[in-house]
Amino acid sequence: MFEYDMALVAGLSSNTRQIAVRLRQGNVSLLEELVGQYQYRLTRYLIYLLGTRDGVDDLVQETWLRVLERGSSYDGRSRFEPWLFTIARNLAIDSMRKRRIFSLDSKDDDAERDISAQMPASNAPSPFTLAARTEDAERLAGSLEALQPIYREALVLRFQEDLSLQEISAIVGSPVATVASRIRRGLRTLREGLEGGNHGN
Amino acid sequence: MGTDIHETFEQMIDETLAGNVEREKEESLRRHLQDCARCQEYLAASTRVIAGLRGFSFDVDPASQAKVCAVMRQRAQQMEAAPTSGRRMAWISIAALILTVGGSFVDLQFGGLIASAFDIQRAQMQQGVIAFGIVPSLCLLILIPILLKLSAGGTGRQERIR
Repeated sequence: MFEYDMALVAGLSSNTRQIAVRLRQGNVSLLEELVGQYQYRLTRYLIYLLGTRDGVDDLVQETWLRVLERGSSYDGRSRFEPWLFTIARNLAIDSMRKRRIFSLDSKDDDAERDISAQMPASNAPSPFTLAARTEDAERLAGSLEALQPIYREALVLRFQEDLSLQEISAIVGSPVATVASRIRRGLRTLREGLEGGNHGN
Repeated sequence: MGTDIHETFEQMIDETLAGNVEREKEESLRRHLQDCARCQEYLAASTRVIAGLRGFSFDVDPASQAKVCAVMRQRAQQMEAAPTSGRRMAWISIAALILTVGGSFVDLQFGGLIASAFDIQRAQMQQGVIAFGIVPSLCLLILIPILLKLSAGGTGRQERIR
C-alpha cells in the first residue's frame, strides 16, 4: 500500500480536445495515462460518495471500462474530470441498486434520494477515520461519516477537486443553487463538529 | 452591530467559499471582515474545516492500477476483434435503404423494358419487386432503429454530460 503522491497529478487535464480525439480512437496508452492520473481521485470521490471502501475498487475498474467503451461521447469541450465523475456516479448508483441497498421502486430522477438513503455497511472503522492524517482531519472524520452522502459529495468536488459550481451541478444533475446550498450546509455541519470537538478537548 | 448582520455576513462567507457570491457582495464582505472579529473567527473556522478536509489521504493498492490497465487492454482487444453490433446494423440499414430506393427507381424507369424482355406483364414484375425487394428492405429499415434502441437500453444509460 502507498500514499499517492499528489504532485504526480498534473499534465493532461488542460488538453481536453486531444483527450477527446484519442478516446474516440480507443487509444489504450492514453487510457493508461489517465488511469495513472485519476485513479486516486476517482477512488477518493467514490469513498466520499459511498461512505465506505467496500466495492470501490470494482467501481473504479468499471468506470475505466465504461470510459473505454463510451469514450466517443466525450467531446473535449468541457474538462475531463466532470465527465469521468459523472460516469463513476451513475455506476455507483446502479451498483447500489443492484445490491438492493436502495429501494427497488425508485426512479432515475430519485437517484439523489437513493444516495441519501444509503446505510453504513458494517461497524468497521470508517474510511475517513482510517484516512485522517492531521488532528483536524481526525476530528472531522466522525462528522463526515455522519454527514449525508450528497453533502460529502458536494464538499469533495468543491474543496478537493476544485470544480466549479457549474461543473458540480452537471455531475449531480441538480441546479447550481442546490449545489451551493449543499456545500454551505456541509460546511456548517463540519464546522460545528470541529468546534464541538475543540470544546470537548 | 446586530446579530442578524453577522448572520448575513456569515452566510456570505459560506457562499464565497462555495464559489457562489457576486463581486459586489464579496467586496462588502471584505470591508466588513476588516473590522469584525466575530466574522473573522467564523471565516477562520470555515477555512480550518476546508484545510481539515485536505488532511485525508486514502490508501490505494498500487497493484490496482496495473490490474485496471490489464483489464482495459483485454477489453480493448475484444472490442477490436469483434465489430460492434451497432456498426453492423448501420451497414444493414444502408443496404436496405439502397434496396428500397434502387428497387423503386428500377421499377419506375425500366419496369416496362424488363417486363417486355422477360415476356411478363408489367403488373407481375411490379408485384415481384414490391414483394421481394421493397417490403423486406422497408421492414429492415423500421426494425433496425428499434433493435438499436433496445440494445442501447440494455447496456445502461448514457452519461448525462459530454
